[in-house]
Amino acid sequence: MFQEEIQRYYEALREPKINKIEELVREFIEKHVSSVVILNEGLIGAMGIIGQEFKASKLWVPEVLLAARNMHRGIEILKPELLKNNVPSKGKFLIGTVKGDIHDIGKNLVIMMMTGAGYQVIDLGIDVPQERFLEAIDKERPDIVGLSALLTTTMLEMKEVVKSIPKNFSSPPKIIIGGAPVTRKFSEEIAADGYGEDAIRAVELADQLLMSKGMI
Amino acid sequence: MEHHLSSPKRRFLSGLFGGRKGDRISVANPTSIVSVELMEKTGIFFPDAHLDPIKMAELAAAGYEILGFDSIMPEFSVQQEAEALGCVVDWGSPSMMPDAKTHPVKEVSQLHIPENLLEKPSIRVVLQALELLRKNYGNQVGIIGKVMGPWTISYHMCGVQEFLLWTLIDPDKVRALLDRLKEVTIAFANAQFKAGADVVVIADHATGDLVSPKTYQDFLLPVHQEIIQRIGGPTILHICGNCSDRLRLFVEAGFDGYHFEWQVDAKMAVQTVNHEMSLVGNISNKNVLFGGTPEDVYKQTRYSIEAGVDVLAPECAVPLQTPIANLKAIVEAARQGW
Repeated sequence: MFQEEIQRYYEALREPKINKIEELVREFIEKHVSSVVILNEGLIGAMGIIGQEFKASKLWVPEVLLAARNMHRGIEILKPELLKNNVPSKGKFLIGTVKGDIHDIGKNLVIMMMTGAGYQVIDLGIDVPQERFLEAIDKERPDIVGLSALLTTTMLEMKEVVKSIPKNFSSPPKIIIGGAPVTRKFSEEIAADGYGEDAIRAVELADQLLMSKGMI
Repeated sequence: MEHHLSSPKRRFLSGLFGGRKGDRISVANPTSIVSVELMEKTGIFFPDAHLDPIKMAELAAAGYEILGFDSIMPEFSVQQEAEALGCVVDWGSPSMMPDAKTHPVKEVSQLHIPENLLEKPSIRVVLQALELLRKNYGNQVGIIGKVMGPWTISYHMCGVQEFLLWTLIDPDKVRALLDRLKEVTIAFANAQFKAGADVVVIADHATGDLVSPKTYQDFLLPVHQEIIQRIGGPTILHICGNCSDRLRLFVEAGFDGYHFEWQVDAKMAVQTVNHEMSLVGNISNKNVLFGGTPEDVYKQTRYSIEAGVDVLAPECAVPLQTPIANLKAIVEAARQGW
């Protein structure tokens, strides 16, 4: 896809009116552009720019929420085409806010960015007890698990979940953690595989971890 | 008891208005300094202290009696208005702050501000606690009230994500919500002054972690200007997160003080606001008060004093597991004088 075309996707993701992205995806489908290219280069490519601009404080949370809404709509329109092509995801990412914590805006931003980066995301939601993480890992076999906490009280719960995963699986997924009270030091103390200070860093971390496993 | 050359109240008020320096810098709490340890010492626990005026006042007074702060601030949660306006609030536990469980407003027409707002239990409790504190401590200690601004109340009423998205896809709806909810802020703040507050904190989380300075300027600045005009009494703005890029806008709004976080460098902030607004803060919760030692607290506190902060305070409501020794360390560092 040409730079100017990716730019059009970027502009459509920034547009408050949802019909812009609908029209753009339909236009490219009609032009017989491969759905994989529309997804990876158009939608994911443009979301990558949004992510970088967010990280550089050129954009803020409302713009990311808007881009995620528009991207989601674009993928919906693209879905019938994608199903024909059987597009593989980059990796499987399972995420939840640990037990005792119901705050989810940070987690949702991570989901938007991970989806935007081409990961298949399984969202366990908020206030997720340890057993549910273990059950879901057993069922879904994710490559990476993300744990989120906003409250200092729930950081202790995070520690328990991080401890329990390697005990229960012979080839455990990588675990990354984040949230307002979480620090790199804490992440090292509880032996998580990585700490992301924001949603963009979560994507970079996931990419690095999968690369070290030789998956991408 | 420390020999006071100046009373806690006079010291606090002087700092709030950037006035005479006196014996030492004042230590205050625009937001909650209650911890589990403080609850254990007083025998008064959450959630009772959110809902019972006598318990609320007694637990708040422990900030002065036990920790040695120059102020008393009785509103520990950010959900008092939300419940009065129809959100279902889980009042939490000793180790969990309250949280709104429902966000009932999807359209402006669904927002109902009750005529007897000030009579609603979650509002009345704060007013009664302030009256008690005024009566028992009013001459000696700075009495701080606290209300949520229309932006924060909108988060509770509508949900954070929905509300933030509307700033782009339906800005008129956001303006209409702010316009109506500012009446709640004004009415509650004025009632808190009548009940005995010396100053009211207006917490309105248009934080640098979520929105741009332009969003603050476009949507909230004129609303804050009107709120300040119609309240009349002294106000401290509380917005947590990194707001380094919008300090001048807070000055423009007309607040007497701004309660700020460690992420905003104190030296930069002092230079930027240029004594046109007082700075209240900014000891870090995450790394120091909660996660550090009294020595760490001491170092940060001295840095803030040297930077020229007007009133010392924890940067935001302290985590409930914060050790009392760390909170006292702020006061200790302040007592060493300028």
